[in-house]
Amino acid sequence: MVTTRVRHKWGMVVDLDRCTGCQACVVACQAENNIPINLEQHFLQRRAIEWIRIERYWEGLEEAEKTGDLSKVKARFIPILCQHCENAPCEPVCPVYATYHNNEGLNVQIYNRCIGTRYCVNNCPYQVRFFNFWQPTWPESLHNQLNPHVTVRTRGIMEKCTFCVQRLRKGGRKEVQEGKRLDDKEFDAQSGMFAPACARACPTDTLVFGDMNDPNSRVSTMAKDNRNYKLLASIGTEPNVIYLKKVDLDASDAATH
Amino acid sequence: MQAETPRSGRKALLIITGVVAGLLFIFVGLAVVPRVLAHYFWPIERWYRSAPVQPIDFPHPSHVQVGGIDCLFCHRTVAKEAMAGIPPVEQCMFCHKIVAKEQPRIQMLASFAERGEPIQWMRVHRLPDHVHFVHEAHITYFTRKDGVLPSQVCSTCHGDVGNMQRVQQVRSLRMGDCVDCHRQNGAPTDCFVCHY
Amino acid sequence: MELTRRQLLKLTGLGLGGVLYTACTYDLSETRVESPTHIPEDLVAGLDTWYATLCRECGASEGIIVRVMEGRAKKIQGNPLYPTNTGKHRPGCEGALQALYHPDRLAGPLRRMVKGVGQSFEPTTWSLALEELSSQLAKHQSDPRSVVIITDPLRGSAADLMQRFATSYGARHVVFEPAEQTVLYETTKRLYGSEQLPHFDIANASSVLSFGADFLSTWLNPVGYMRQYGQFRQGTGRKRGRLVHVEPRFSMTAANADEWVPVNPGMEGVLALSMAYVIVSERKGDQSAADALTGGAGADALRAFRPGDVASVTGVPAEKIERIAKEFADHQPGVVIGGGSAGAHTNGLFNLSAIYSLNLLMGNTNKRGGVWLNPQAPLPELRAQATATPLGQWQPLIDDMKAGRVQMLIVRGADPLYGIPKALGFEAALSKVPMVVSFSSFMNDTAVYADLIVPEHTGLEDWGNDVPQPGPGFQTVGYQQPVVREYHERERLQADRGSRGFADVMLALAEGLPKVQQALPWKTSREMLMDSARKLQGLGKGSVVAASFDRFWIDLLANGGWWDTSATSTATPPKPSALPTQRRDPQFQGAGAEFHLMPFASNAMGDGRGAHIPWLQAAPDPVTTAVWGTWIEINLGVAKEMGIKEGETLRIISPAGEIEAHAFPHPAIPRNVVAIPMGQGHRQYGRYAQERGANVLSILAPAADADTGALAWAATKVRVEKTGRRIHLPKFEGTVELPTQLEEGAIIKTTKPV
Repeated sequence: MVTTRVRHKWGMVVDLDRCTGCQACVVACQAENNIPINLEQHFLQRRAIEWIRIERYWEGLEEAEKTGDLSKVKARFIPILCQHCENAPCEPVCPVYATYHNNEGLNVQIYNRCIGTRYCVNNCPYQVRFFNFWQPTWPESLHNQLNPHVTVRTRGIMEKCTFCVQRLRKGGRKEVQEGKRLDDKEFDAQSGMFAPACARACPTDTLVFGDMNDPNSRVSTMAKDNRNYKLLASIGTEPNVIYLKKVDLDASDAATH
Repeated sequence: MQAETPRSGRKALLIITGVVAGLLFIFVGLAVVPRVLAHYFWPIERWYRSAPVQPIDFPHPSHVQVGGIDCLFCHRTVAKEAMAGIPPVEQCMFCHKIVAKEQPRIQMLASFAERGEPIQWMRVHRLPDHVHFVHEAHITYFTRKDGVLPSQVCSTCHGDVGNMQRVQQVRSLRMGDCVDCHRQNGAPTDCFVCHY
Repeated sequence: MELTRRQLLKLTGLGLGGVLYTACTYDLSETRVESPTHIPEDLVAGLDTWYATLCRECGASEGIIVRVMEGRAKKIQGNPLYPTNTGKHRPGCEGALQALYHPDRLAGPLRRMVKGVGQSFEPTTWSLALEELSSQLAKHQSDPRSVVIITDPLRGSAADLMQRFATSYGARHVVFEPAEQTVLYETTKRLYGSEQLPHFDIANASSVLSFGADFLSTWLNPVGYMRQYGQFRQGTGRKRGRLVHVEPRFSMTAANADEWVPVNPGMEGVLALSMAYVIVSERKGDQSAADALTGGAGADALRAFRPGDVASVTGVPAEKIERIAKEFADHQPGVVIGGGSAGAHTNGLFNLSAIYSLNLLMGNTNKRGGVWLNPQAPLPELRAQATATPLGQWQPLIDDMKAGRVQMLIVRGADPLYGIPKALGFEAALSKVPMVVSFSSFMNDTAVYADLIVPEHTGLEDWGNDVPQPGPGFQTVGYQQPVVREYHERERLQADRGSRGFADVMLALAEGLPKVQQALPWKTSREMLMDSARKLQGLGKGSVVAASFDRFWIDLLANGGWWDTSATSTATPPKPSALPTQRRDPQFQGAGAEFHLMPFASNAMGDGRGAHIPWLQAAPDPVTTAVWGTWIEINLGVAKEMGIKEGETLRIISPAGEIEAHAFPHPAIPRNVVAIPMGQGHRQYGRYAQERGANVLSILAPAADADTGALAWAATKVRVEKTGRRIHLPKFEGTVELPTQLEEGAIIKTTKPV
């Protein structure tokens, strides 16, 4: 072999006990990936694009209403991004093979293949695929900020989280040059230059990214934590994004355990 | 009035057929005909073999063959970065302050340098925005595989630029071309390698 | 119109030709490849470089690295080396990119030829603008107090420059910040004898008790606190920490707390003293501190605050007060944090002093998991304190303006017309000033009144330095360098327009004023920074040490600053003085009105400084997920009783004015409180912020803290009226919907702590 190519399986661990819902990941993703500006009308039409989003769930509303004790109300935050499912429901429905699972564990979307049938978004249980209903436009001066390493998607095309593949590719080239697997730190959220923008931004280290094939990486150790669970596991999508349960002093029954 | 009913039905049918035929005509006219015409009269080979006229007629042979300058001397970032890099006017003037000062082409160059005006070269090789081609990865692979210098790799895709009076594209560099080569070399053919 | 077959065919042919022509052409620029005349390393096509600098988008000090390609900034990330934010950043930092390339950024100085708000601005050049500024400053030298400079809270060399300028000239320097921290500074001074705000060691604390301070969103140094919060919750080798948050509003910190304690507004101090009573009577905490705090009388000194007696005024049940106090005392080390709305009442200083006294009671000063005092800045000229001028001192200034005693007003980095409560009459006063100069890079509310606008660089184009406030517990100085080509460089070089650095302009102005020039012996701000850097090098310690200055300077900029982890505070805090024995209740303006108005800084846009950034407008508020507008959080039950539905336009009437906002019936806001985010309602400020939403700051009654005179921005009571109009509230919630009925239960699963 002239070049040794390292086999990666990218994955992410989301520790819900750390997430504060601060939106740093959301804005970082938009800056990195040339996501069109979500104007007010886009929200009103429910067509805003956020590759990673923070969902907020209320808990204890009934109890608070019954007792009148507001402190029973809890708001929980969960960052949801493409789960990069091993068994992705979006893939088999694409008539043009614009979306498929690659050998690095990424669920990919090939823009130049996509013809915009929107079958995939309807079949995705996590609702992380976004359709470009409009030609994305920026004021001329803001073009200076666009990332040249990411394609600007045109109207009629599906888009979704790529785990910032442009950064992974850069890391991959470094690996080829050095002929060895890069240290986990290079992909790590703390200071790694090849970590996805969201993980790199997250102030509480909620998002941890890394190579699941590397048994010593932070992400594979954390994925084994006994708080781990997969989102909508009953559907059997086998996501590569692992969530760690929120710790709650009042967590009660085994059903939510 | 009763007799009118079948006639109006036929009229509707006629209108629908007319509209469908019209749409078909427009579709064929807009989408199919130009493609067929382009295929026969303006083949891709013809497009990429065109050698654009440059603002200053730059002779590669006299630099490479006569001057013996390495590709990487001017295209500095080709072995390090995605883009090969076009040398700044400043760099041309390192030599041409002294060399061949009297030639009209060099005087044109000097006037660009004096005015501080960038030269707008005509692009010879151009890939669409959704393709991310990285020179560095290809140079690294071929230099290691064949044990050659980076400048000996360039001709694989760019042809013998050193002997071209006016540079032209020699390979189609369309996706089929890329994929063929990737297959031959055992390189990944995953779409996500270039399209993201 | 008759159309023959021939005409139809002709038209079809023409149309087809047109379509073919346009479809087969493309942007000609794509066929060109440019070869520039000069090519510095950072302009090589395709090459990206990361440069370290500081983020100047909000008051917090955050080190960032900026990805620059071909002279253009593409992405911002936290600087992993910088001690306050260690590699992470807030949504606001990313906004620096869109501020730099904002379509409505001013491209050069503007001059109004005819005085008056309706009159149009005309473009002018820097040399004319500077000439005018110099001559005006020279003219008013005889009466220097008639020159007033309003800035945002400055730190580092900029603060030094401003102070030297103001003192040597004799001008008045006023510091403006909408949610001022005056009360907090005063509390720290009285309790700890320190001019610097302290560092909270949340990462090593077992429990955190916070009062009013939304430290996980916008308060002081949120990224630093969030870094620590992650550790606090799930750090390796430690037990999970417990967070109890006391605030009348369900803020982001409240949402993340293990327990949220809704308290009656202004009663935070009483609640804290009640907890002190419990801790002292249970003989928990530091005994010597307890003696000092109670004057040796023990719990008896605090008997006015017995949980049973204060339960009704605080709105917190007695058993809850006791339980929380005991749990806090049992889970040590613990740290108590107070600020935000707790200090923004007429009894603000009483509240914060009581809250921080709990720290003294636990004896956690300069201890692991406690409160660490911050040292002085390493050099006297690097000023760390950035107190805003309290509201009490604004009134005389505004009176002077109205009386025509202010000839020249220079505004930089602040938008006082937007932020000062309308009731003070700043707007009327502003039009009485003959010469108003604005340094804003955008047309903001104050700049509309300006006679001359001299746009300064944005943060990514300018030089500067910063001493974080609060610091990370040791001496830190951040350095800011221009990381990109100025966006308006061409205008500056070719037409003498574009933007310039604020410090550079001030230094240029000093040249015409001999007295000032003596105090400012530098030509450019870069020189000034190098001067301080030379002194830092002379210390011969810290993160950057080099024999030659050139080496030191390069390393300093490459690292984003200088810090010395061993240089911690050496000062010993004074012996605690006795706690108050009597309650001090807050006074509210707008008696009879039913709701307390809680303004709060927007998570993404802060106090309004970030409103011009489309990313930040579109970043959903974490709790309500509302975007692009102003909403009012009103209790769900109250809303039902009043027949208010989501999106209904409500009129909010305070003694000082009224605004309109859209209802968000909130399940977790007390019945007697309504909350409105700051940040919107700009009259100008670029296309994304202009005339959007309402400005809650404008209806605040000018109540002030009795001791410090700081604006008591939580002391206004309001009435809420329906207008009968209703809109669809723009919010992110509902954009996508996950299945709610699941076999495995909730989306977010919970577990008990181990």
